[in-house]
Amino acid sequence: MATTSFTAPKLSSPTFQTLCRNFPLSLPIPKTLSSFSFHLSPFLSRFHLHHHHYHPPRFHPRRLFAVRAESENGAEPIRHYDFDLFTIGAGSGGVRASRFAANFGASVAVCELPFSTISSETTGGVGGTCVLRGCVPKKLMVYASKYSHEFDESNGFGWKYDTEPKHDWSTLMANKNAELQRLTGIYKNILNKAGVTLIEGRGKIVDPHTVDVDGKLYTARNILISVGGRPFIPDIPGREYAIDSDAALDLPSKPEKVAIVGGGYIALEFAGIFNGLTSEVHVFIRQKKVLRGFDEEIRDFVGEQMALRGIQFHTEESPQAIVKSADGSLSLKTNKGTIEGFSHIMLATGRRPNTKNLGLESVGVKINKNGAIEVDEYSRTTVPSIWAVGDVTDRINLTPVALMEGAALAKTLFQNEPTKPDYRAVPSAVFSQPPIGQVGLTEEQAIKEYGDIDVYTANFRPLKATLSGLPDRVFMKLIVCAKTNKVIGLHMCGEDSAEIAQGFAVAVKAGLTKADFDATVGIHPTSAEEFVTMRSPTRKIRQSSESQGNMGHEAKTAAGV
Amino acid sequence: MARKMLVDGELNQTNKEGAEYDFDLFVIGAGSGGVRAARFSANYGAKVGICELPFHPISSEVIGGVGGTCVIRGCVPKKILVYGATFGGEIEDARNYGWEVNEKLDFNWKKLLQKKTDEINRLNGIYKRLLSNASVKLLEGEGKIIGPNKVEVTQPDGTKLSYSAKHILIATGSRAHRPPIPGQELAITSDEALSLDDLPKHAVVFGGGYIAVEFASIWRGLGATVDLFYRKELPLRGFDDEMRAVVARNLEGRGIKLHPQTNLTELVKTDNGIKVITDHGGELIADVVLFATGRLPNTKRLNLEAVGVEIDKTGAVKVDEYSRTNIPSIWAVGDVTNRMNLTPVALMEGTCFAKTVFGGESSKPDYRNIPCAVFSIPPLSIVGLSEEEAIEQVNGDVLVFTSTFNPMKNTVSGRQEKTIMKLVVDAETDKVLGASMCGPDAPEIMQGIAVALKCGATKAQFDSTVGIHPSAAEEFVTMRSVSRRVTARGKAKTNL
Repeated sequence: MATTSFTAPKLSSPTFQTLCRNFPLSLPIPKTLSSFSFHLSPFLSRFHLHHHHYHPPRFHPRRLFAVRAESENGAEPIRHYDFDLFTIGAGSGGVRASRFAANFGASVAVCELPFSTISSETTGGVGGTCVLRGCVPKKLMVYASKYSHEFDESNGFGWKYDTEPKHDWSTLMANKNAELQRLTGIYKNILNKAGVTLIEGRGKIVDPHTVDVDGKLYTARNILISVGGRPFIPDIPGREYAIDSDAALDLPSKPEKVAIVGGGYIALEFAGIFNGLTSEVHVFIRQKKVLRGFDEEIRDFVGEQMALRGIQFHTEESPQAIVKSADGSLSLKTNKGTIEGFSHIMLATGRRPNTKNLGLESVGVKINKNGAIEVDEYSRTTVPSIWAVGDVTDRINLTPVALMEGAALAKTLFQNEPTKPDYRAVPSAVFSQPPIGQVGLTEEQAIKEYGDIDVYTANFRPLKATLSGLPDRVFMKLIVCAKTNKVIGLHMCGEDSAEIAQGFAVAVKAGLTKADFDATVGIHPTSAEEFVTMRSPTRKIRQSSESQGNMGHEAKTAAGV
Repeated sequence: MARKMLVDGELNQTNKEGAEYDFDLFVIGAGSGGVRAARFSANYGAKVGICELPFHPISSEVIGGVGGTCVIRGCVPKKILVYGATFGGEIEDARNYGWEVNEKLDFNWKKLLQKKTDEINRLNGIYKRLLSNASVKLLEGEGKIIGPNKVEVTQPDGTKLSYSAKHILIATGSRAHRPPIPGQELAITSDEALSLDDLPKHAVVFGGGYIAVEFASIWRGLGATVDLFYRKELPLRGFDDEMRAVVARNLEGRGIKLHPQTNLTELVKTDNGIKVITDHGGELIADVVLFATGRLPNTKRLNLEAVGVEIDKTGAVKVDEYSRTNIPSIWAVGDVTNRMNLTPVALMEGTCFAKTVFGGESSKPDYRNIPCAVFSIPPLSIVGLSEEEAIEQVNGDVLVFTSTFNPMKNTVSGRQEKTIMKLVVDAETDKVLGASMCGPDAPEIMQGIAVALKCGATKAQFDSTVGIHPSAAEEFVTMRSVSRRVTARGKAKTNL
């Protein structure tokens, strides 16, 4: 993320007149929405409840969303609400939906818990997980930790350090936290500028149109739940000694020897961070490989590369208990034995939606067995006036997806344009070291879905590594549908993968073919050019016969001539 | 055409006129374009010979080396030095991330140079192997054309060999050009700059093109004092003007002294170094002066006049869309034709040539939407049209989307350097006509964008792509508001 995504030019607020045009009294109920079993449009309510009690501190002039609803069965007096939209949770999805809704002319309030780097039932902060306990601090820590590898690389390029560079933990934490404070301020500013009322406190749904924030009641035509997720800690003895990712991002001192339990992206990212900041790192995973759900070759490759950088993997080991010794050190007991002497044990064992104590049960918002709010394609819950976006719905838990959901919702509700988020070809990255970038299907998914596919791979030593002498390699993979020639999956592990994958994601999303890739001229010398110079398939997979085997592997030469 | 496989040494290939040739194809010059054309032609079954001058990092009329400019005196060694120089800034940036690094850092230029030379030797070997694996016969020596189907190779020991070939391909590339000012012999070109014995303490770079800004960045990154002189107001003529201004600002921000609209008029040798005199009357002393004032095609000693191959006034071989010269049996690819002087373009031309001549499939190189990069620090990368080109070429309105931001890494490092990205869109068709970026990783980021542009992607398709967070690249798919709309008349209507 670029920090100025925040300062992106604002959509200008429509004028009053425009609003009148946009929301005429004869507002049609969007077809797609009116087909639902309930009989409410997002804009028109037939509830007749009196606008009671409280006025929020910054009361917006009534806007036209509260126009008289002229329903066909006669003139029901309309209900007045404090807000057109009340958002619970000012993270990525909530802020996006609120801002856009306000820009479309809606009166909007958002509530959020007080700021803290560690989340809880009573602490959060404007910006949410991404800004305060996720993407941003994580990436800053990745930047910090990458330097140790860069120092090693630089030796091969003639740089020498009289004394080995040492890392001062407190400098990093102080500078990181100063940046987080700055960002949470920017987010508040963004809301403020958009005319969104920010209320600090814990929001709880009282009825389909009322939110209680620490005892004060607010009414709203629509309520948006965007409270995100929080780390899930398995119930094992000694779990109180463990840290989660919130704490791991804000440790008071460097962990000397850390155990990370989990094989998902959070576990791998922190393994890279701590390893780079010179901790001894052990990763315990239940499976044989890291990153379940990712392409199998990527899983193998990233595991190998991380091990080469000094991370110790313990595969097929499940945690059973954490024991604190007399000297204060921690031991991790697994199904295979006990390893002692850890200064920290981090549990990166998944995240769960924050749906407790939101009042969902009482109003009838349905949640699934993981606690995620069930929503339809428009992010609407089982209660027509209540919506949910982001991690709390556990669809694809990524900031840009929450942004997409939030933007789509604002359009649906306040621009008379029912919009479904599109989950096809959503790219993502893992900021492990080396990082992973990917978009589209894994080879395994592609075989399942398309049967006949061609797979192109490249596994090479990048130019930088030939000089540095380090064992770094890059792996790239294109998966092509044999019948249509479309590129349906693209995967990369190696330096700059996350940055490289973005442009290709545009191409994959646009449904481009392998021939289109081949027709593109390379940028030389880059790693990315390899994706447009893959001439012969590594294997052709046909449903009839499992695989056509190896088609030969071209060595990557510097210019690929 | 020669589709059937030929065994090396069987010289009884006969063409339809009944003439016998030593080779189906003889290539002069084993750089990017020549090696590609030779290998691919051989893969189609042609019998191929190729000649190249003896190897040395510094080129001349009689020195070259298998691999050519890109591998020996261009892209590869340049990128190695850029990597080396980038660490300078990286180490500075590390401090605010908590790393305690000695104030005075030790950088060993000789070590970097040695490793660069080792790598180039390795690649030179790989290229030779590539040719021999493809059964291409490699001859060391200087090639000359002595007839439409005849080539003479002068070996290093002076022995002359002559070969007949059904097709001749000229792929001799280009060399740096020095402006004829007094004392010009005191200056170096990019060849020498990649092989200096010592790191310059104070370097003067003359030129505003990509080579000039790359070397300025390299030397500055490694700690030298650098003065950059160029004739225009901004460096990188031909690139998007807004991007040019950003590059200039970044070079300055990294500590390079810029001297726009300034010519060098004379170089004088003094005891303290080279005295550099400008047309503004300025003087300064430098230990290294680099002329990065353009490159000229290597056509002088090919004997082209004798066989009637036409060249243009810059010395470039004139070719048609299929890379054929006015002599039907003689072809040319790469920098020697001065079309678009980039390695991947030479590769494309070489591939198309092989397909056309030996693959039974007429094939023209496609010069639309070719991406490229300038490896300044930070780098610039572009694909498609600049804003100025778009305004000129598009009939209707042009929409310009820009994003200027402080990259996340700088929020902690404290480095004052913005990244800028730009999309130029045809208002009527919504097609993205051009993309550019100046900032870290720009060349890596641009490659995928280039695929999208090549296939006529629309702004709506960019917008529908979800971002990768947190990355710099995601800005390209999250540019929501137009920065300005330029009407058909080329006047800025709004400037939001």
